[in-house]
Amino acid sequence: MNIDRYPEIRPGKKVFKKAYAFVVLLVVGRGIEAADRVDGEVKDIVRGLPEGFTFSLGVAPSGPWMVIRKEKSGKLRYLGWRRFGKTIELDMAIRNIEAAFRIFTFRESTAQAHNNGRFSVNGNLPNALAIMRIMDIAEIYLLPKIIATLAVKRYPDRRELPPGRKHFNRLRIYLRAFSPGLFRVVYRNL
Amino acid sequence: MTMPAYYDFCSRVKTISGENAMEKIPGLLKGLGVRRPMIVTDRGVEAAGLIDTVTEAIDGGLDIGAIYADIPVDSDYRVVDDGAAVYQNNRCDAIIAVGGGSVIDTAKGINILASLGGKSLLGCQGAGTIRRKLNPLAVLPTTSGTGSEMTLVAVIADTERQEKMLFVSHFLLPDLAVLDPRLTRTLPDFLTSQTAMDALAHACESYYCMEKNPVSDALALRAISLISEHLLPAVRNPAETSARLALANASAMAGAAFSNSMVGLVHNLGHVVGAVCHVPHGTCMSILLPYGLEYNTHRREKAIGEILFSLAGPEIYAKTPEKARPDKAVEQIRMLNEDLHNITGGKHPRFLGEIRNKDGTPAVPRSALPEIARKTMADGARLPNPEEILPEDALMVLEHAWAGIHLDRSRIRKGA
Ligand SMILES: [Fe+2]
Repeated sequence: MNIDRYPEIRPGKKVFKKAYAFVVLLVVGRGIEAADRVDGEVKDIVRGLPEGFTFSLGVAPSGPWMVIRKEKSGKLRYLGWRRFGKTIELDMAIRNIEAAFRIFTFRESTAQAHNNGRFSVNGNLPNALAIMRIMDIAEIYLLPKIIATLAVKRYPDRRELPPGRKHFNRLRIYLRAFSPGLFRVVYRNL
Repeated sequence: MTMPAYYDFCSRVKTISGENAMEKIPGLLKGLGVRRPMIVTDRGVEAAGLIDTVTEAIDGGLDIGAIYADIPVDSDYRVVDDGAAVYQNNRCDAIIAVGGGSVIDTAKGINILASLGGKSLLGCQGAGTIRRKLNPLAVLPTTSGTGSEMTLVAVIADTERQEKMLFVSHFLLPDLAVLDPRLTRTLPDFLTSQTAMDALAHACESYYCMEKNPVSDALALRAISLISEHLLPAVRNPAETSARLALANASAMAGAAFSNSMVGLVHNLGHVVGAVCHVPHGTCMSILLPYGLEYNTHRREKAIGEILFSLAGPEIYAKTPEKARPDKAVEQIRMLNEDLHNITGGKHPRFLGEIRNKDGTPAVPRSALPEIARKTMADGARLPNPEEILPEDALMVLEHAWAGIHLDRSRIRKGA
């Protein structure tokens, strides 16, 4: 046996995919937190969730993750990418990094991915459905139309979501998501 | 057809069908190592004399350990706990479920608890609880609709928390499905008609929803043609053995199809109407099915058009221009409902506004529609539906279904 024939395996592409997924989850996490302060429908859905409700979305088996909790104030808060020490009531995991990369590069819509069994969901179904709807709304605000159309089942037309409101809310969500709070949460997770 | 980028399909229920199918049960169960099965059923089935028919058919072959007939219409986990105790006290080693959807689901629950051990089904919750093969389960459906003999789910109510416990596992697929026309002979005509419409809804929805695949498609199309050919004769004359056997087969095939490719709007709205207004599932399905096709036509024109082939036969299909096929399919279903309404002396429902409670009051008051529409967001059937369904969309469809009018297509939100 020649030990030199077994060089270190470099993760290469996988690291890139994981880093990409990490950034997407960070932006979506912050975007969801911001959408809960801006969009009426998100506020309504969040009102129906129990206080202290914590959910995580991520990539099985080893991450990256994002964790969001409904705080005492009744608002959602993005807690970062560490799951350790948190009681997670709803755990939504994409089964592997390849599937996650396909979803996060919008080659498979979130709904189609669910129907294809790319997600494993642990927790109560009504809450999972509520979170999926919130993610759809966040994506509609965060992403340009040409990309969001691929991610959601129905991209709202001007009657469903008037352009004025869409652009105004989008601006507010971006400002909130990338506010100094972002650095604080990143710092706290390091 | 275009192949789906991905799909999975699993159906492994030994199915026996025929006029003497029940006589085969002892041999098949013995082959699975069964000695003392427990029969699980409800009082209605027992009163109809069906348990006598079943025990007569399997007489001598197997030693029946117990007959558990205490399943109420609104079964819950306590019934499961109770049934599992009877099972264990009588040292049974298998279950023969004889009944409709509620009996079959409860039997699946009893089988989980009796096989895995424990005092209450509440202790068996959570994903991955069911990790091994359960004890043998034979299902003898007495309605031709739910298709539960072919599905891998069990829904058990938790009345205290007002929740539904959902168990999903391939180990919940029954070992044996017995389709024998003697089992459905005593079913009243308006129940035959409504449960068959449930099966038709399973077949249609599995054919146009987002998880459609070639295997479930084949099952769905054949189920549709069996129902459209045999439903009216079976309702007109319960003595038509072959018609009833055809419906039982269609129901099982539609069950296998939708267990793998799921359902959409029709079940999304139907589940909530049923839960809020206590309307039977089949009633909701009969009324809502045409709207499911109408609501999704702009997304699935070809698939919904193809349903016409099985509903009306090759001649009408060929005579109808491609563009007009989806609407023609909807029209066929509406005609079927109208015919069933007439044959059953008005007992088969056509629209939500006409359903009455036992005391004559409207079962689905118009004022209940907004609440129903809101609650559809918490039902899983909204995910596989091709078009998005938000509460405003659900309300729009419900208003049409309440009045019994064609869906105004200009009000369907199709997105940008
Ligand atoms: Fe159904």
